[in-house]
Amino acid sequence: MTITTVAPPPTHRTPLALARGFLTGGVVGTSLAALVVGGIVENVPLFVTGLVLPVVYGLLFLLAGVPRRAREAAVVPCTALAMIEGLEAVGGESSDIPVRFELTVAPDDGPAYRVEITQDINLVDLSDYRPRGVVVVQYPPDRPWRVRIVKRPTPEWEGRVASARLDSAPGTARVAAPPEGRAFGFVVLLGLLLGAVVVVLPFRADLFDRNDTAKSPSAAPPSVSSTSSTTVVSSASGTVALGPGRSFLDTGELDRAVGSLTTGGDARQALTVVVQEQLLSVVFLPTGMQASGFDLRALPYDRVPALVEEATTTLGVDSPSTWQITADRLTGGVAVRVSVTGPEGTAYLEADGQGKVVRRVSAGG
Amino acid sequence: MDWHMYPVLWCGVFGTWALVGYGLSLAGMTRAQRTVRAIGRIERVGEPRHGSSPKDGIAVVVSFQDPSTGEEFTVTNDGGPGERISVAWTGREIGVHYPRGRPHDFRFADHRSEGGRGLGWPNFALFLVYAGLVVVAAIDRGWPWALLGFCGPWALSGVYHLPGNIRDRNRRLGELAAMAAVPGRVVAVLKSVSTDDDGYTSTRLVPVVTFTTLDGRAVTAYCESGLRNPAGSQGLDVTIHYAPADLAVLTLDVEAERRSWKRDMAVNVVGVLVVAAAAVVGVVAL
Repeated sequence: MTITTVAPPPTHRTPLALARGFLTGGVVGTSLAALVVGGIVENVPLFVTGLVLPVVYGLLFLLAGVPRRAREAAVVPCTALAMIEGLEAVGGESSDIPVRFELTVAPDDGPAYRVEITQDINLVDLSDYRPRGVVVVQYPPDRPWRVRIVKRPTPEWEGRVASARLDSAPGTARVAAPPEGRAFGFVVLLGLLLGAVVVVLPFRADLFDRNDTAKSPSAAPPSVSSTSSTTVVSSASGTVALGPGRSFLDTGELDRAVGSLTTGGDARQALTVVVQEQLLSVVFLPTGMQASGFDLRALPYDRVPALVEEATTTLGVDSPSTWQITADRLTGGVAVRVSVTGPEGTAYLEADGQGKVVRRVSAGG
Repeated sequence: MDWHMYPVLWCGVFGTWALVGYGLSLAGMTRAQRTVRAIGRIERVGEPRHGSSPKDGIAVVVSFQDPSTGEEFTVTNDGGPGERISVAWTGREIGVHYPRGRPHDFRFADHRSEGGRGLGWPNFALFLVYAGLVVVAAIDRGWPWALLGFCGPWALSGVYHLPGNIRDRNRRLGELAAMAAVPGRVVAVLKSVSTDDDGYTSTRLVPVVTFTTLDGRAVTAYCESGLRNPAGSQGLDVTIHYAPADLAVLTLDVEAERRSWKRDMAVNVVGVLVVAAAAVVGVVAL
């Protein structure tokens, strides 16, 4: 074996090792960001991805390392005598404490070399290890710095220890594990950051909107969610605008829209509700105001299609172009007014809080 | 997204794992199938040092022969490769397992065994697939399916194995009755101190006894139960009860051992009854 006084080249500097470091950093960054972002925006698939990704990567990493581990396990370790140059306990609170050894290893088939190792030694057995004492060690021939003291040598090696006289190797003949190298740490960090960015960027709108909403709940600016409809809610009013091809006369559409304005069981009183083909507007009763409001959810929404149908067919507007429903409680009970407008003019009918028609006014009447 | 996707993913992953495992087993490529199982002979038993660690087992020198090359090896249990040797005497045969062609990578087995076909992990993966299906059924169709799905097969397996378990317990009780009693001595008390992350320190004490059998064999054994005060037991004279057919079966307190096995048998029977009752409740509630 050639003894080197120069540290071997870092094993982590090969392109493959760097790529592996980058990938590991990326997976860690991605999964952590997916867990955090998925938890904040309540995105279950993203959260599950954050859990599954490291597990899958770990399995692949494990499988990819099988050939290397098999190769290393197939190597028959070298056994040699070594002399303790110095030793120092470096901590530990259990009965086995880590001890740092400075050893001179004397292989049978090569020159002696120095190495520093740390190994757990039982407190009771510590007295067996003294400076200048001879011990039996083992190490893989391709990694001579991975020395392990054999605590229970075979009888043959016990005999050799009893009769051994070893000289110290010079301090320059030192073997050490290759340093990790800065490039490896850098690519791991880079991968970690990129992985996090890849997750955070697509969800930045959700994240920042939520942050803005959370900052000042009392003077909350309007929150906007955009899917096939647009909902804008503030402390004073709420608006739901439907996308193309949809109408508030469609089954359940009004209930959904009202639900989106009263999220979380919000029981705020409404002052006025106006419903058009694709627009629902609500003016909320300001807090502390002594006026006649009504529960937004108490209106007879299931009667709306029938009322509009009745207004457009029985009040003399043959080809109505628009319709509108206005609900308020200015005169005692809740009043619902359905008005339709066409070439013939505007007609309207009035209904009570249960949707029962109480008055009809024809076009031109 | 439909939640059924998650159980499908679960079953897919573990189903693949199980299939790969069964495939490897059929091809004779599992670790268990590639393991050489040699018989080692204990040549020398070391004297335990009072206060040292019990984790490496009793220090032994073992010789074994590689069946394929005929080469002889002499090794020790340094670092505790494989199972811990807790009963040792010169001439005892133990298992020495290693991957084919790598006798240096050996592991000790406290008892000789034939070894299996390496189906442990594939069977476990198959169980996880089954558990996933039961969970889906329980969520979709109600909790009785969980009772039936988990407790039904468990109860069937328990009922199937119950006669064998009872026979085994009876055999052990018979073994206790046939034990020989000899004088022995606690020669050392081994100590293992560990501290967990919260700073709590736990100490484990393992007395070591030595005794000579009626046919003259000197046995050293860890004896973790049967002594009232293990910490101060060094030098104590005790009576060792051992099974002449297998010196590794020994105890200090035959009565306690007998009570333990009887309790174990009762727990076994009651356990099977409880699980079967749970399965019946599941069927009734369907």
